[in-house]
Order: sequence, then structure tokens, then C-alpha cells
Amino acid sequence: MNFVKRYLIPRLIQYLLVIFLGITAVFIIPRLLPNDPVNTMIGVMQARGQQLEPGAIDGMVTSLKEMYGLEGSWWEQYVAFWGRLFRGDFGVSFFQFPTTVNEMVGRAMPWTLGLLLTATVINWPLGNIVGGLAGYYSRKPWSRVVDTIAMIVRPQPYYIFAFALLLILGYAIPWFPVAGGTEIGRKIAFNWPTIKDILRHSFLPALSLVILGGAINFQTMKLIVQNVNAESFVQYAKLGGVTENRIVGRYVIRNALLPQITGLALSLGQIFSGALITEIVFSYPGLGGLLFNAIVNGDYNLIMGITVFSIVGIATAILILDLLYPLFDPRVRYT
Amino acid sequence: MAEKKRTILRTDKLKAFYILEMQGTQKIIKAVNDVDMEIYENEIYGIAGESGCGKTTLLKALFNDIVPPLRLVSGKIYYCINWDKEVDVTTLSPEEKRQLRMEYISYIPQGSMSVLNPVLKLKETYKDFIGSHLSGQSQEEIFELARKQIRVLGLPKNILDVYPHQLSGGMRQRVTIALASLLKPRIMIGDEPTTALDVVVQRGVIQMLKMIQENLKNTIILVTHDMGVHANIADRIGIMYAGKIVEEGSTEQIFGQPLHPYTQFLINSLPKFGDKNMRSSVPGNPPSMADLPAGCPFHPRCPHVKEICRQEMPDFCYPDENHRVACWLVGEGKHG
Ligand SMILES: Nc1ncnc2c1ncn2[C@@H]1O[C@H](COP(=O)(O)OP(=O)(O)O)[C@@H](O)[C@H]1O
Ligand code: SF4
Ligand SMILES: [Mg+2]
Repeated sequence: MNFVKRYLIPRLIQYLLVIFLGITAVFIIPRLLPNDPVNTMIGVMQARGQQLEPGAIDGMVTSLKEMYGLEGSWWEQYVAFWGRLFRGDFGVSFFQFPTTVNEMVGRAMPWTLGLLLTATVINWPLGNIVGGLAGYYSRKPWSRVVDTIAMIVRPQPYYIFAFALLLILGYAIPWFPVAGGTEIGRKIAFNWPTIKDILRHSFLPALSLVILGGAINFQTMKLIVQNVNAESFVQYAKLGGVTENRIVGRYVIRNALLPQITGLALSLGQIFSGALITEIVFSYPGLGGLLFNAIVNGDYNLIMGITVFSIVGIATAILILDLLYPLFDPRVRYT
Repeated sequence: MAEKKRTILRTDKLKAFYILEMQGTQKIIKAVNDVDMEIYENEIYGIAGESGCGKTTLLKALFNDIVPPLRLVSGKIYYCINWDKEVDVTTLSPEEKRQLRMEYISYIPQGSMSVLNPVLKLKETYKDFIGSHLSGQSQEEIFELARKQIRVLGLPKNILDVYPHQLSGGMRQRVTIALASLLKPRIMIGDEPTTALDVVVQRGVIQMLKMIQENLKNTIILVTHDMGVHANIADRIGIMYAGKIVEEGSTEQIFGQPLHPYTQFLINSLPKFGDKNMRSSVPGNPPSMADLPAGCPFHPRCPHVKEICRQEMPDFCYPDENHRVACWLVGEGKHG
């Protein structure tokens, strides 16, 4: 099988290598930092006014070292680190002791996935189709109008834009709630009131992502289309009297989408890093905020856990893209 | 040339210029400058000239594909769509123009890599090109039509199922020719269809063009700068220089008694059998069409230049039936 030998295996090796190197970096970087996380931790506890007996401190140092995986030589730590990873064990969070990292990531992940997946699934087709048509019909008035809107929206810093949405649709016209993933105190259950509540809370964050992401896709696509439009296969189709809707769809947009597919895979992969600013502005639960707090608190296990997720997420997205791409572009074949 | 041939395409004082606006200044490139030509049915008409002399632009105009920055400055282009009546096609609506393509007049591009949609199998390309014109036809009928023609032309049977990048340059060129002839158009226009090919493949493509023309008894207008190709295929030849036709005649007349000094240069630059010397190409460079010399545009390069050549553009004179030349050296009482 040529496909397996010449296409699949090299890409799988590359995939595993990227993950291996990324995770190794996640292991090494914290160890190169000048501060000792165990002492920092104990210092923090003492600063909070906790009374610690000298003996208790020693015991705590040992158990903290164990939890951090800081016992033994680097090599021993490294081997133990991989051992835990393979068991899917990222240890416990320090600042929400004794909650496990898995549990915290598991709680934040559905929010992030739900929000970012929905936003991407809407803004990518929307931005690209409108951008594609606007690029092809760039002389039409409607195309110029959409283009102007995108030109105004696009350069806005995202947080300002998101705040503006919040102010307008949350405070000035209070159609949507201003914070949170649900009403305070709601128990998550699979029933209509809960779903409705979640949708209402997710609407503004999703809208902000759709508009800005859509504007970016729109502008990129419009530019690509104008280049594809000058390609000789488009000119030739026009000289062959091919009808315009075929030329727009099957010649121009179809080819212009190829680079955009790569962009889609990358943004899907990045979902696993969360959307920090969105989550902050809309006080929305999710991976971004979790990672942010982990960094602020020096919660190393949690940082490592989330980072490993996002490394695997991006690498997997690229692998899937690589495997599927030949379906979109026959010039790239499984040979 | 005994019987009077019927005209299928005619231009009348055609001027098509590229008008470029650059930072407030206007640059005008006179790529087709006052061209009168009459093309007959059932002939292969060759257009020759150095690169940059306006051949492609003239073809665009003949194909009625005049889009900015190219503008029709003056003149008319007539197609004899019904024998009894000429139609000035420059006045047609975009949809009318579209319908004429492939059905009445078709275009053969230089079949380099990128003229076929890279993401479509050839049968999809066929479906788009043919389906855009035979709207009543089902997909299967279109493929059947295509397969029949592929058999006749001797192309590989599986060719509809491949992607363009899987074909050689010569095969892609054949496909574009097959496609151009599928709806039996009255006129086929080819822009350097043999240029990027090696000699052996080139000969095959020329054979294919000849065969199609003999079957359809239609008109082929063929542009190439390669005089050798013209010698092989053309019935009549127009020599183009700086946006003008400077000499026109039957292939025998052009190769046997070339009268314009530029034509003579073009023919002398052809390698001859048994001649080991390097052939001389035309000395000097073609003029900029944005800034043409006064009088005969060839005068800066012409070995026979006379005083009048620098001042006035010569008119055509007709040294023989069907043979016309625009040069002060030729013509009654104006000889030097
Ligand atoms: N799209 C264009 N815009 C501006 N100038 C052009 C364009 N296409 C061709 N020209 C100019 O018109 C002249 C004739 O070009 P062309 O018709 O392509 O000549 P040929 O086919 O004989 O090589 C050249 O000077 C060329 O630079
Ligand atoms: S008109 Fe004069 S310059 Fe022009 S080709 Fe004839 S002799 Fe030469
Ligand atoms: Mg050309």
C-alpha cells in the first residue's frame, strides 16, 4: 500500500514527533525557571497566614515534590512524567487542592468547545462565501458596502469590540445577560430551560467571535479570490462561455477555498487553548480563563495539563488536515 | 483561389488600445491599430509577428473579448452569423456574446499547465463548457458526445477521468483543441497553441488542427510567431508589426515573394535545410506601442528606409490578387 507507506506513516511519525517535542518542552521549561515552585507554594501558604509547624513543612515539601514530580534526577522525573501522561494523569491542582487537573479541564472544556466550535462553524462558511462573492463581484455596490464594514470592524482591538457589544446589547438594550455561562446557581441539566439559559449567555460572546472572525475570513477570501480571478483557468472558462454561476462557484471560490481550509484546521486546533479575552470580557467559563488563572497562581500541574491538551489539539488538527487535504486538492496526492 | 470565398469575419478600421491610468497620467498602448481584415470560411488564416506586436490583442478583439484595460477605440467587428447578414458583434449584450462562444467561435489557449481547472476532472470541465451551451442536454448525453469525439480524435479513452496535472503538455493542448471543436463552431481561434511544445508533439497538434478543419470545413485563425508552423498549416498569412497588418497574402505569396522588408526578415530567420549558419533574426527591437515612431513604424529598423517612410504611413497596395503590402517600396510610381 503506497498510501500507508509513502503518505500515512511519514505524517504519523511527524505527528508523534511534534507532540513528543512539544511535551518535552512543557517538561523542561518550568524546570529552567529560577524560582522553586515548592518553596513558592509554601511561602504563599504562609503568607496567607496558615500556621505551619517546622515538621509539617518538611512533610509538605516531600509531598509537594512528589505531586510536582520533582523527586529524583531530571531523567527520573522525565520518565515518571511520561508514565503519568500515558495514564492520563496530570496530577492535582494546587490552588484548588485536591481537585484533579483532569476534572478542572473536563469542566471547562465543554464551554470552550461549545462556544468556539459554534463560532467557527458559523464564521468560516459565512466569511468565505460572502468574501468569495464580494471578491468576484468587487465592482458591485453591495460588495463595496460589505467591504467597508469589514474594513471598519476588522482593525478594532477585539476587547474593545467585545466591550462595545456588551455595552450595547447587555446594558443599553438589555437583551442579553452580561456575564457568566448560566444564571447564577443554575444546576446544569439536560433540559430546555438550561439549554435556553446557556444559549442566551453564549450569544454575545459567540456573536463577537463570529463578527470578528467572519470579517477576517471575508477580507482574506476576498483578496484570494481577486488573485484566483486572474488565473488562466478562470479566463479560459470565460472565453469558453461558461455560465457565470459555474465560474464563480466551481472555478473561483472552489480554488480560493484551498488556502482557507488550512486556516480552518488551525483555528479548530487552537480551540483547545481557549479564548482568553472573550472569556474575560464576558466572564464566561472556559479553558482560556482557566489557563490564565493557572499562570497567575503558578499552578504548574494545571498549566502543563492545559498546554498538553493544546499541543495535542493543534497537532491532531494539522494531521487531519494533511490526511484530508488531497480530497480538496487533487494535485496533492497520496503518493 | 479560383472561386470567390465567402467572408465569415471582417474588421473595419479596428483600433483596440490598452488605456492605463497611472497616477493621473494616461498611457495608451496602441496594440491593434487600424486593422482591416477579412477572413474567409473554410481556411486557416495565420497571423505572424514578433512577440509584443499585438497578436494576442488582435485575437482578443476578433474573439470579441474586449475588456478593460483594453478598449475598442474605433472600428467594427462583423461576424457572418447568418450568411445573408453581417452582425456588428461589438454591440451585443454580454449574454449574447457568451452564447456565441464555443458554438459560433471558439478559443484555443496556449495549453500550458494552468488553463484547465486544477481541481476538476476533465469530465467536469467538459460538463461546464458544454453544459453552459447545450442546456437541454443531460450529463450523460454530454459525456457521450465527448467520448465520441475523443474516439475520433484518437485521444486516450480514460482521459475524461483524469485531472489536468496528470496530462502531458501536448495532451492538455489536444484536450483544449478537442473542447474548442466539440460544438462544431464556424471559427476557431488559437493563440500560440504549438509554442510550448517540442517539435514532435507540435507536429501532432498541427495534424490534429488540420484534421479538424478538414472535417468541419470551418475557419481557423492561428497566431504564432513561428513562421515554420505557418508554412505547415496556413492557407493565408497576415504579417503584423506594431499593431498593424503590414502584409497579407497566400502562404505561397508570403514565402515565395515576400515584399515587405519585415516579412523578408521573418522568413530569412527560418532555418533552412542543409544550412549550418545561424540565421539572422530581425535587427533591432520592436518600437514601444505607447510611443510609436512617425510614418512607417518599421522605419528605424528598415534597411531600405526612405525619406517619406519617416513621415507618412504607406497605404496598402495590391501587387497581386489577394496580396497586399503597406510599404513605400511597393506600389505604382512610388518605387525607390
Ligand atoms: N493587459 C494588458 N495591459 C496592458 N498592456 C498590455 C496588456 N496585454 C498586452 N499589453 C501590451 O500590448 C502589446 C501587445 O501585446 P500582445 O497582444 O500580447 O502581443 P503578442 O501576442 O504579439 O506578443 C504589448 O506591448 C503588451 O505589453
Ligand atoms: S515603408 Fe519604408 S521603412 Fe517601412 S518597410 Fe517600407 S521601406 Fe521600410
Ligand atoms: Mg501573445
